[in-house]
Amino acid sequence: MFYTISIIGFVVTFLGIGICCMVFPCCRKCQWSPLAILRRAVRILTMLPLERKLSPVGALRKLVYLLALLCFLILAITGFYPVLVLREPIYGYWLILHATFAPVFAICLASLAVMWAGNCCFNKGDWLWLQRVLGRESVNKADVKKSCPEQSRGNELLRKICFWLIMLLALPAILSIVLSMFPLFGTHGQEFLLQLHRYSALLLALSVIVHTYLTIRTQMEQ
Amino acid sequence: MRKALLYTAILFCLISVLTAADTDLTFSGDESDGSRAVPVHLIPLIDEEGEKITPADELLLPFSMRQSCAACHDYEKISRGWHFNAAEPNVAPGRQGQPWIFVDAGTATQIPLSHRTWPGTFRPEQLGLTSWKFVQVFGRQMAGGGVGELDSDIPDEVVRGFVSGKLEINCMACHDADPAHNQAEYADQIARQNFRWAAAATCSFASVSGKAVNIPSNYDPLMPQPLNDPKLVPPTITYHKNAFDHKNQVFFDIVRKVPAERCYFCHSNHDIGKSGLGKWATDEDVHLAAGLTCVDCHRNGLDHNITRGYEGEASVSKNPLAAISSCENCHKEGRLGAPVPEHSGIPPAHFDKLTCTACHSGSWPDQKTLRTKTSRAHALGTYNVNKSDDVLPHIIYPVFAKQLDGKIGPHKLFWPAFWGSLKGQEVAPIDLETVRPIAGKIINDKELPPSGDWPSLTGEQIGKVLELLETTEGEPVYVCGGKLYHLDDKGRLIATEHNAAKPYLWPIAHDVRPAAQSLGARRCEECHSTDASFFFAEVEVDTPIASEQGSVKKMIEFQELRPVYMKLFAFSFVFRPFLKVVAFCSSAVLAAVLLLYALKALACVIRILTEGD
Repeated sequence: MFYTISIIGFVVTFLGIGICCMVFPCCRKCQWSPLAILRRAVRILTMLPLERKLSPVGALRKLVYLLALLCFLILAITGFYPVLVLREPIYGYWLILHATFAPVFAICLASLAVMWAGNCCFNKGDWLWLQRVLGRESVNKADVKKSCPEQSRGNELLRKICFWLIMLLALPAILSIVLSMFPLFGTHGQEFLLQLHRYSALLLALSVIVHTYLTIRTQMEQ
Repeated sequence: MRKALLYTAILFCLISVLTAADTDLTFSGDESDGSRAVPVHLIPLIDEEGEKITPADELLLPFSMRQSCAACHDYEKISRGWHFNAAEPNVAPGRQGQPWIFVDAGTATQIPLSHRTWPGTFRPEQLGLTSWKFVQVFGRQMAGGGVGELDSDIPDEVVRGFVSGKLEINCMACHDADPAHNQAEYADQIARQNFRWAAAATCSFASVSGKAVNIPSNYDPLMPQPLNDPKLVPPTITYHKNAFDHKNQVFFDIVRKVPAERCYFCHSNHDIGKSGLGKWATDEDVHLAAGLTCVDCHRNGLDHNITRGYEGEASVSKNPLAAISSCENCHKEGRLGAPVPEHSGIPPAHFDKLTCTACHSGSWPDQKTLRTKTSRAHALGTYNVNKSDDVLPHIIYPVFAKQLDGKIGPHKLFWPAFWGSLKGQEVAPIDLETVRPIAGKIINDKELPPSGDWPSLTGEQIGKVLELLETTEGEPVYVCGGKLYHLDDKGRLIATEHNAAKPYLWPIAHDVRPAAQSLGARRCEECHSTDASFFFAEVEVDTPIASEQGSVKKMIEFQELRPVYMKLFAFSFVFRPFLKVVAFCSSAVLAAVLLLYALKALACVIRILTEGD
């Protein structure tokens, strides 16, 4: 069951991202030659180093974000690869790696929550834009334009949603596995906690993927 | 022609009717009327000739179980039960069990034998043990029947068999509730080759004297003639006069539900050097302490196809209870008051990788394995048994090893040691009659230790024996301590690893410890620490070679796990408290941020709603 849901989840997410890329390309003159793809890849990678213009807090924020991404990558590979590809429970070195990077990821998420929550608050602009998208014609278009820059709009709102989803899903993902380490739950409880961890981790992973895509897209658009 | 056909048809019908009648034959004792009361067994004694025994008989013969019990019970059906059917080729062997361990210190031999096709065991015939000899050696703790009733092809044994009689099923070994029942007497009678008298000798109302072992082969126990030699006393039985009632019937204190004490004669264990204290200091199995007996779980019907109680037994057993007689089945359903386990804090992965017994059975694992004795291997409970701690065979325990079903469970283990011939990749033991004159002479040059321990063997001695051993086919080898020894072209002794030298392991289930005393009940680190006995205890490699003694293997080598990984995994438990703190702190921060912004959002909503007003 989890296997099927996971596969569907990943396929739908990546398909969605692919379709989004094609329907709403971030640059109108996108070229698909190998050189252009390489150039774009280099551009994305150059986003990783900490720029000099960043303030110490900004640098810390970016550092934590990049560390969180690295941890997520390792956790996603060690968590999903054995289950989805090898078709076996996480065991052996996969488990050791998973358990080693999990607390680092938890710390990063907590730090990001503190550092990013203020910026990810929903504001009036989001609300007005959402109303416009939903077809509420009574909303003044000028208001929308004023309160929300042209480039972000939907992306920004989606990013914020993803951020809060990530924060929300991180709680069951972390607590389910930590609580299972205490002699509080019997076999059925343990199985429930394991399922809770799996599904919340799956949703968390999908949210992180979408969030990362939107972040890259926003950066490229800027 | 027509008449002939008619007669043939009538004859055929008659045979069919008779055969059908025979098949449908039910014995009065085998068909229950539903009463739970125990039937009183006040019955006549019948000898093997089918004659009723009375105290007035001139020649008193021992009563025959086959004759006395078969009046009311289906002896043939019973004889196909698990305790008697080892030699039947069509019986599924099931999970590996304890083999018969043939020990001969004089030739530095301890080898697993079984009529069942358990991997790692050898058939007794391979060692030159005919059924007759096998019964002589191991009959002491056999329930009779099966091998004990097989006819020999060897003329000498046929004649001796007439003197000694057959070893019929000894129903009393299990079903006699008489406190005066003496099963040790049975073992003694087997040693005297008094097979015919063995079962009767255990009963409180009979006593047997004399021995068949040195009686001439032409002696007829049914028409005995005085023997010339006064030292030769043929077996004779005496029945206590008050045993018979006025109808010459005898009371047997027979119970359907076999008392655990009866099982113990063949199924006892004694751990050596665990506490330095005696048996009194050892806790018994938690099931027995709770008031159950062995047969509450190990049940059988008339066919005596008793359940062994392991997971997956139902696939090989015809006993309908086999499917529900495992630990899991009773404890999931709470049968007989079995507590349903919570296993709080134990990740479910443990149940896929471990047997129930891994955590709950046997003695608590220490940094080094113990040696243990078992009734059948060490003749426990018999007269004049060697009580030394060093007596062979050396059984090592508890060894947590991977079973055939892929789960890790506690096992008993011993390292085979025997002289064999290597042909291709197969090693077959060499007949004892061939080995004894050669190996016995070279090894016995030094006195055998009175403790019953190994003789102190040297590589030189092994080389000498291998030089002298002549095998009809294959190369002579000696297997011991997990290695196979053979001579190379230049006559040098070479030791190699070989499958035949691997230890023989069999899973154990008892004694079961209560849940609070199970492995991992207190802390994960009981198994997941870098020096945890479960993975890293030292398993003794037992060998008669003096220079090799004291060598060990790590427990993990028997579990097919990666030692580096298990060490790393165990090491990660050092940081587990840190992981828990980090996870809780992170969760607290996340929850606080979420709550804070949720409240902010709520405040915003309230403000908007208020403004709207």
